[in-house]
Amino acid sequence: MKFVPERLEVAAGDRITWVNRDFVPHSVTAKEAKVESGDLAQNARWTWTAKGKGDIPYLCRLHPVMKGTIILK
Amino acid sequence: MNWKYALPILFLAPAVALAQGKGPSDPQIAHIVVTANQIDIDAGKIAKSKSKNKEVQAFAQQMITDHGAVNKQAGALAKKLGVKPEDNDISKSLKKGGAENTANLKKLSGAAFDKAYVDHEVAYHQAVLDAIDKTLIPSAQNAELKGLIEKVRPAIQAHLDHAKHLQGDLGKNAGKK
Repeated sequence: MKFVPERLEVAAGDRITWVNRDFVPHSVTAKEAKVESGDLAQNARWTWTAKGKGDIPYLCRLHPVMKGTIILK
Repeated sequence: MNWKYALPILFLAPAVALAQGKGPSDPQIAHIVVTANQIDIDAGKIAKSKSKNKEVQAFAQQMITDHGAVNKQAGALAKKLGVKPEDNDISKSLKKGGAENTANLKKLSGAAFDKAYVDHEVAYHQAVLDAIDKTLIPSAQNAELKGLIEKVRPAIQAHLDHAKHLQGDLGKNAGKK
Protein backbone atom coordinates (compact mmCIF):
# COMPACT_ATOMS: atom_id res chain seq x y z
CA MET A 1 0.00 0.00 0.00
CA LYS A 2 1.99 2.98 -1.27
CA PHE A 3 2.31 5.71 -3.86
CA VAL A 4 4.40 4.65 -6.85
CA PRO A 5 6.69 6.45 -7.38
CA GLU A 6 6.85 7.92 -3.90
CA ARG A 7 8.86 10.91 -5.15
CA LEU A 8 8.07 12.64 -8.42
CA GLU A 9 9.91 15.57 -9.98
CA VAL A 10 7.79 17.87 -12.13
CA ALA A 11 7.73 21.40 -13.48
CA ALA A 12 4.98 23.91 -12.78
CA GLY A 13 2.18 23.38 -15.27
CA ASP A 14 2.73 19.61 -15.55
CA ARG A 15 -0.37 17.50 -15.11
CA ILE A 16 -0.06 14.55 -12.72
CA THR A 17 -2.64 11.76 -12.70
CA TRP A 18 -3.02 9.35 -9.79
CA VAL A 19 -4.81 6.05 -10.43
CA ASN A 20 -6.01 3.92 -7.52
CA ARG A 21 -4.89 0.39 -8.39
CA ASP A 22 -5.91 -0.88 -4.95
CA PHE A 23 -9.39 -2.06 -4.05
CA VAL A 24 -9.64 0.04 -0.93
CA PRO A 25 -10.25 3.79 -1.38
CA HIS A 26 -7.35 6.25 -1.16
CA SER A 27 -6.82 9.99 -1.39
CA VAL A 28 -4.08 12.41 -2.44
CA THR A 29 -3.99 15.01 0.30
CA ALA A 30 -1.61 17.88 1.07
CA LYS A 31 -3.39 20.21 3.47
CA GLU A 32 -0.89 23.07 3.36
CA ALA A 33 -0.66 23.07 -0.43
CA LYS A 34 -4.46 22.75 -0.59
CA VAL A 35 -4.33 19.54 -2.61
CA GLU A 36 -7.28 17.21 -2.04
CA SER A 37 -8.45 14.54 -4.43
CA GLY A 38 -11.41 13.37 -2.37
CA ASP A 39 -11.84 9.62 -1.88
CA LEU A 40 -10.73 7.69 -4.95
CA ALA A 41 -12.40 4.31 -5.38
CA GLN A 42 -10.76 1.34 -7.10
CA ASN A 43 -9.45 2.34 -10.55
CA ALA A 44 -10.57 5.97 -10.08
CA ARG A 45 -8.22 8.62 -11.49
CA TRP A 46 -7.50 12.14 -10.35
CA THR A 47 -5.43 14.76 -12.12
CA TRP A 48 -3.73 17.78 -10.58
CA THR A 49 -1.81 20.52 -12.34
CA ALA A 50 1.42 21.27 -10.52
CA LYS A 51 1.90 24.80 -9.30
CA GLY A 52 4.31 26.62 -6.98
CA LYS A 53 7.89 25.66 -6.19
CA GLY A 54 9.70 23.32 -3.82
CA ASP A 55 8.60 20.06 -2.18
CA ILE A 56 4.97 19.20 -1.60
CA PRO A 57 4.69 16.30 0.82
CA TYR A 58 1.34 14.53 0.58
CA LEU A 59 -0.34 11.50 2.07
CA CYS A 60 -3.43 9.36 1.82
CA ARG A 61 -5.90 10.92 4.26
CA LEU A 62 -7.44 7.48 4.82
CA HIS A 63 -4.09 5.70 5.31
CA PRO A 64 -1.65 8.24 6.75
CA VAL A 65 1.17 5.67 6.56
CA MET A 66 1.08 6.18 2.76
CA LYS A 67 3.27 9.14 1.96
CA GLY A 68 4.59 10.77 -1.21
CA THR A 69 6.37 13.92 -2.33
CA ILE A 70 5.99 16.09 -5.41
CA ILE A 71 9.17 18.02 -6.16
CA LEU A 72 8.56 21.15 -8.18
CA LYS A 73 11.69 22.14 -10.06
CA MET B 1 11.91 -56.34 14.99
CA ASN B 2 14.97 -54.16 14.83
CA TRP B 3 14.28 -51.21 17.16
CA LYS B 4 17.31 -49.35 15.95
CA TYR B 5 15.54 -48.76 12.63
CA ALA B 6 11.97 -48.69 13.84
CA LEU B 7 12.49 -45.68 16.07
CA PRO B 8 13.42 -43.10 13.41
CA ILE B 9 10.35 -44.07 11.41
CA LEU B 10 8.13 -43.27 14.37
CA PHE B 11 9.71 -39.87 14.66
CA LEU B 12 9.47 -39.26 10.96
CA ALA B 13 5.74 -39.80 10.73
CA PRO B 14 4.59 -36.51 12.33
CA ALA B 15 7.05 -34.52 10.21
CA VAL B 16 5.66 -36.04 7.03
CA ALA B 17 2.10 -35.32 8.11
CA LEU B 18 3.08 -31.67 8.63
CA ALA B 19 4.90 -31.43 5.33
CA GLN B 20 1.89 -32.75 3.42
CA GLY B 21 -0.05 -29.91 4.96
CA LYS B 22 -3.21 -29.95 6.96
CA GLY B 23 -3.85 -26.33 6.08
CA PRO B 24 -7.31 -25.01 5.23
CA SER B 25 -8.88 -25.73 1.83
CA ASP B 26 -9.80 -22.90 -0.57
CA PRO B 27 -13.49 -22.84 0.52
CA GLN B 28 -12.27 -22.68 4.14
CA ILE B 29 -9.79 -19.90 3.31
CA ALA B 30 -12.61 -17.92 1.65
CA HIS B 31 -14.63 -18.31 4.86
CA ILE B 32 -11.67 -17.23 7.02
CA VAL B 33 -11.10 -14.11 4.89
CA VAL B 34 -14.76 -13.03 5.09
CA THR B 35 -14.95 -13.80 8.84
CA ALA B 36 -11.72 -11.95 9.67
CA ASN B 37 -12.90 -8.86 7.79
CA GLN B 38 -16.37 -8.92 9.31
CA ILE B 39 -14.96 -9.11 12.84
CA ASP B 40 -12.94 -5.95 12.31
CA ILE B 41 -15.91 -4.18 10.68
CA ASP B 42 -18.02 -5.03 13.76
CA ALA B 43 -15.35 -3.74 16.16
CA GLY B 44 -14.99 -0.60 14.01
CA LYS B 45 -18.73 0.08 14.18
CA ILE B 46 -18.65 -0.10 17.99
CA ALA B 47 -15.61 2.23 18.12
CA LYS B 48 -17.24 4.71 15.77
CA SER B 49 -20.30 4.98 17.93
CA LYS B 50 -18.57 4.87 21.35
CA SER B 51 -15.24 6.68 20.97
CA LYS B 52 -15.02 10.44 21.51
CA ASN B 53 -11.50 10.57 20.07
CA LYS B 54 -11.43 11.89 16.49
CA GLU B 55 -8.32 9.88 15.51
CA VAL B 56 -9.81 6.67 16.89
CA GLN B 57 -13.06 7.38 15.06
CA ALA B 58 -11.21 8.02 11.79
CA PHE B 59 -9.27 4.78 12.21
CA ALA B 60 -12.49 2.89 12.95
CA GLN B 61 -14.10 4.33 9.80
CA GLN B 62 -11.05 3.27 7.79
CA MET B 63 -11.43 -0.29 9.13
CA ILE B 64 -15.13 -0.35 8.16
CA THR B 65 -14.37 0.99 4.66
CA ASP B 66 -11.28 -1.10 3.89
CA HIS B 67 -12.43 -4.42 5.31
CA GLY B 68 -15.78 -3.86 3.61
CA ALA B 69 -13.95 -3.34 0.30
CA VAL B 70 -11.91 -6.52 0.82
CA ASN B 71 -15.03 -8.53 1.58
CA LYS B 72 -16.78 -7.20 -1.50
CA GLN B 73 -13.79 -8.29 -3.57
CA ALA B 74 -13.58 -11.68 -1.81
CA GLY B 75 -17.31 -12.28 -2.32
CA ALA B 76 -17.05 -11.44 -6.03
CA LEU B 77 -14.05 -13.76 -6.45
CA ALA B 78 -15.73 -16.64 -4.59
CA LYS B 79 -18.77 -16.25 -6.86
CA LYS B 80 -16.59 -16.13 -9.97
CA LEU B 81 -14.66 -19.24 -8.94
CA GLY B 82 -17.78 -21.05 -7.76
CA VAL B 83 -16.25 -21.46 -4.29
CA LYS B 84 -18.77 -21.83 -1.46
CA PRO B 85 -17.15 -20.51 1.76
CA GLU B 86 -17.00 -23.34 4.30
CA ASP B 87 -16.99 -22.84 8.08
CA ASN B 88 -13.97 -24.29 9.89
CA ASP B 89 -12.03 -24.27 13.16
CA ILE B 90 -9.97 -21.15 12.33
CA SER B 91 -13.14 -19.17 11.48
CA LYS B 92 -14.79 -20.44 14.68
CA SER B 93 -11.79 -19.39 16.75
CA LEU B 94 -11.74 -15.95 15.08
CA LYS B 95 -15.45 -15.49 15.76
CA LYS B 96 -15.01 -16.47 19.41
CA GLY B 97 -12.16 -13.96 19.82
CA GLY B 98 -14.20 -11.28 18.05
CA ALA B 99 -17.21 -11.88 20.31
CA GLU B 100 -15.02 -11.67 23.43
CA ASN B 101 -13.51 -8.39 22.24
CA THR B 102 -16.95 -6.95 21.43
CA ALA B 103 -18.29 -7.95 24.85
CA ASN B 104 -15.29 -6.33 26.55
CA LEU B 105 -15.54 -3.11 24.50
CA LYS B 106 -19.24 -2.72 25.29
CA LYS B 107 -18.38 -2.55 29.00
CA LEU B 108 -15.83 0.26 28.59
CA SER B 109 -15.97 3.99 27.82
CA GLY B 110 -13.71 7.05 27.40
CA ALA B 111 -9.93 6.60 27.41
CA ALA B 112 -10.20 3.01 28.66
CA PHE B 113 -12.37 2.16 25.66
CA ASP B 114 -9.98 3.81 23.19
CA LYS B 115 -6.99 1.98 24.68
CA ALA B 116 -8.73 -1.40 24.67
CA TYR B 117 -9.97 -0.94 21.09
CA VAL B 118 -6.62 0.22 19.70
CA ASP B 119 -4.58 -2.37 21.66
CA HIS B 120 -6.81 -5.09 20.27
CA GLU B 121 -6.53 -3.70 16.72
CA VAL B 122 -2.71 -3.87 16.98
CA ALA B 123 -2.79 -7.47 18.23
CA TYR B 124 -5.50 -8.49 15.76
CA HIS B 125 -3.78 -7.12 12.67
CA GLN B 126 -0.51 -8.69 13.76
CA ALA B 127 -2.28 -12.04 14.16
CA VAL B 128 -3.96 -11.66 10.76
CA LEU B 129 -0.61 -10.86 9.12
CA ASP B 130 0.89 -13.98 10.70
CA ALA B 131 -2.05 -16.06 9.49
CA ILE B 132 -1.69 -14.63 5.97
CA ASP B 133 2.02 -15.45 5.83
CA LYS B 134 2.04 -18.80 7.63
CA THR B 135 -1.34 -20.32 6.77
CA LEU B 136 -3.43 -18.60 4.12
CA ILE B 137 -0.90 -17.84 1.36
CA PRO B 138 0.94 -21.19 1.70
CA SER B 139 -2.35 -23.15 1.76
CA ALA B 140 -4.29 -21.39 -1.01
CA GLN B 141 -4.45 -23.58 -4.12
CA ASN B 142 -6.26 -21.30 -6.54
CA ALA B 143 -3.94 -18.64 -8.00
CA GLU B 144 -6.59 -15.91 -7.97
CA LEU B 145 -7.46 -16.60 -4.33
CA LYS B 146 -3.78 -16.55 -3.41
CA GLY B 147 -3.41 -13.32 -5.43
CA LEU B 148 -6.28 -11.69 -3.56
CA ILE B 149 -4.70 -12.50 -0.20
CA GLU B 150 -1.34 -11.21 -1.39
CA LYS B 151 -3.01 -8.00 -2.53
CA VAL B 152 -4.77 -7.59 0.83
CA ARG B 153 -1.54 -8.01 2.81
CA PRO B 154 -0.21 -4.41 2.36
CA ALA B 155 -3.53 -3.01 3.61
CA ILE B 156 -3.29 -5.15 6.75
CA GLN B 157 0.32 -4.00 7.22
CA ALA B 158 -0.78 -0.35 6.81
CA HIS B 159 -3.59 -0.87 9.34
CA LEU B 160 -1.10 -2.39 11.78
CA ASP B 161 1.30 0.56 11.36
CA HIS B 162 -1.57 3.04 11.75
CA ALA B 163 -2.89 1.25 14.86
CA LYS B 164 0.59 1.21 16.42
CA HIS B 165 0.97 4.94 15.73
CA LEU B 166 -2.41 5.54 17.37
CA GLN B 167 -1.40 3.34 20.31
CA GLY B 168 1.69 5.53 20.77
CA ASP B 169 -0.38 8.74 20.65
CA LEU B 170 -2.92 7.42 23.16
CA GLY B 171 -0.04 6.40 25.45
CA LYS B 172 1.51 9.89 25.26
CA ASN B 173 -1.80 11.60 26.01
CA ALA B 174 -2.43 9.26 28.95
CA GLY B 175 1.01 10.15 30.30
CA LYS B 176 0.17 13.88 30.28
CA LYS B 177 -2.72 13.48 32.68
